[in-house]
Amino acid sequence: MDWSYVIINAIVLACIYGTLAIGVSITWSSLGLINMSFGFIFSFAGYGAWLVAQHISHNGVVILASGILTGALGGVIVCALAFIPLHDKPNFTIRGMIATLAISLFGTQALLWYFGPRVKNIPPVFGYGSIKVFGSTMTYDKVGAVLTSILMLTAVLLWMKSSRRGLEIRAMMQNPHAASIVGIGVRRTGFYVMAITGGLAGLASVLLSQTYYLQAFGGITPMIKGLSVALCGGLGSVTGVVIAAVILGINEAMTSRFWGGQYVLITQFGLIILILLIRPRGIAGILDKAREA
Amino acid sequence: MTDQFPVLQIDGLSAGYGPMRVIHDLDLVVSAGEKVGLVGLNGHGKSTLFLAIAGLTHWQRGSIKLNEKQIGRNRSQGPGRYTHQIVHHGLSLIPQGDEIFQGLTVKDHLDSGAYTKSAWRNRAGRRKEILQIFPALEQLMDTSVGRLSGGERRMVAIGRGLMAKASLYLVDEPTLGLAPKLGKGVLEALFDIELGESAMVIAEQNVALLDGRVDRIIGMHVGKLKGEAAASLAYQTKREI
Repeated sequence: MDWSYVIINAIVLACIYGTLAIGVSITWSSLGLINMSFGFIFSFAGYGAWLVAQHISHNGVVILASGILTGALGGVIVCALAFIPLHDKPNFTIRGMIATLAISLFGTQALLWYFGPRVKNIPPVFGYGSIKVFGSTMTYDKVGAVLTSILMLTAVLLWMKSSRRGLEIRAMMQNPHAASIVGIGVRRTGFYVMAITGGLAGLASVLLSQTYYLQAFGGITPMIKGLSVALCGGLGSVTGVVIAAVILGINEAMTSRFWGGQYVLITQFGLIILILLIRPRGIAGILDKAREA
Repeated sequence: MTDQFPVLQIDGLSAGYGPMRVIHDLDLVVSAGEKVGLVGLNGHGKSTLFLAIAGLTHWQRGSIKLNEKQIGRNRSQGPGRYTHQIVHHGLSLIPQGDEIFQGLTVKDHLDSGAYTKSAWRNRAGRRKEILQIFPALEQLMDTSVGRLSGGERRMVAIGRGLMAKASLYLVDEPTLGLAPKLGKGVLEALFDIELGESAMVIAEQNVALLDGRVDRIIGMHVGKLKGEAAASLAYQTKREI
C-alpha cells in the first residue's frame, strides 16, 4: 500500500483545484457572475506561456509569470466582453453565464484554429529531479506546484485583506448596492476581480501543464472541476473552497490509485452530489440572504 | 444663509421606478453650512429623493447640481451605474436600513467609507474622529458588523458616511427602528457635527426631534416639497403636514 504517494497526489491536486476554485468563487460572490469562460482563459494562458517558452525564454519563472499575465489578460477580455455590457441589465446571472459560455466556445475554437489540433508541451518549469518526502519520491514539478499555488493564494488573500482594492472587492462581495453608495465603481472593481481570477487560472494552467499536454479544449475539465469545487465549498467562502479542494483532491488521488483514472469523474461528482444533498449551501457557504460572518 | 453658495441645486427633478413616478418636478436648493430637515410620511418620496440624487432610482430626469457640477442625468436604466462618480464629487449618502457589509469588521467598514485619496491615506486619523462621535464603537473595531445590535449598526453606517469629507450628507431616517433614547442619541451626534462648508439633509418622520436643531425644515408630500419653515416653527409645520 502506497499511502504517501496517494497523499502527495491529493495535496498537489487540491492545490491546483483550489487555485481555480477560489477564482470561480470570488468572481461569483463579488460580481454575481458564473464565469463559464474559465476554460478558455485556462487554455489561453497555457498558450501564452507556451509562446513565451518557444520564442523568449525557457526560464521557469518567466514561463510562470507569462502564464499568470496572459491569464489576467484573458480575464480582462472576458470582463470587457461579458461583464461590462451586461452587468446592469435584467437577468444578469443567466445572461452572464450564457455570454461567458459563448466566449469560451468561441475562444477555444479560435485557439484551435490558430494553434492547430496538435497538443503542445510546456517545458518543465521547476526543472527535473525529485526529493524524498515521507519515504516516497516527490518530483520537483509537484513540489513546485504545491509551493507556488500556496504562495500565490496567500499573496492574493493577503492582498484582499490589506489593500484598498481588496477591501473594495470584499465590500462588493458582501453588498454590491452598498458598495456603490460608498463610491466603489462596480465596473472598475469588475476588471480587478477578473484580472486576478484570470491570473489564478493562468497559474493553474501552467501548473497542470507540467502533468498534462496543452490543448485548446484542455481547459474544460479543469473549469468544471474548479466550478464544482467552488460549489461544494460554498460559493463565496475561501475556507470552504480549501476544505472542498482537499476532500476532492483526496478522492481523486484515491480513486485513480485504487480503481483507475477513468472512474475519477464518477466518484468526484458522486461525492459532490452527496455533499450538496447533505448541505445545499456547500461546506462553508453563507446563505445568500443572511450573510452573517 | 442666502449669500452662501449652493451645495445642492435641484431643478425640475422627476424620478421613479418602472412606470411609477415618485418624485414630481421637484426644486430644492441647499446652501453650504446648512442643516436641513426633510419631513414627511412614509411613501411620500423622501428616500427616493435621496436615491435619485445618488443616481440609484430606475429612471430620472431633471437637473441636479452638486457643487455646481451636473450630476443628474436623464436616464431610463442603469441604476447605480454612476453612483460611485457622484459619490466622488462629494456626496455621502447614509441610506435607510443601513446597507452594511455584514461580514466585514467595523474597522474595514469605516475604511470603506474613506473613498477620497486623502481620506484613505489619513484613514486612521479619520477613524479616531468617528470614535469621538461614537465612542461606543471603540471596543467593537474588530467585530464583524453582522454581530452588532441595531443601534451599533446605525452608528457604523453613519460613521462610514462621515469618513470622507463630503460636501453633502444625506441622512435617511437615522432614528428608524431604534429605541427612542438610542435614536435621540444618534440624532444628537449628527446635530453636533461641525459641517464647515458642507451641508446636511436629514430625513426624519418625527418633527419634534428636529425641533430647533436644524436651520430649516421642509415638508414632503406625494413627491413634492410642501412649504418651508424655520426650525422654530417645527410644531406648526407638523400640524400643517
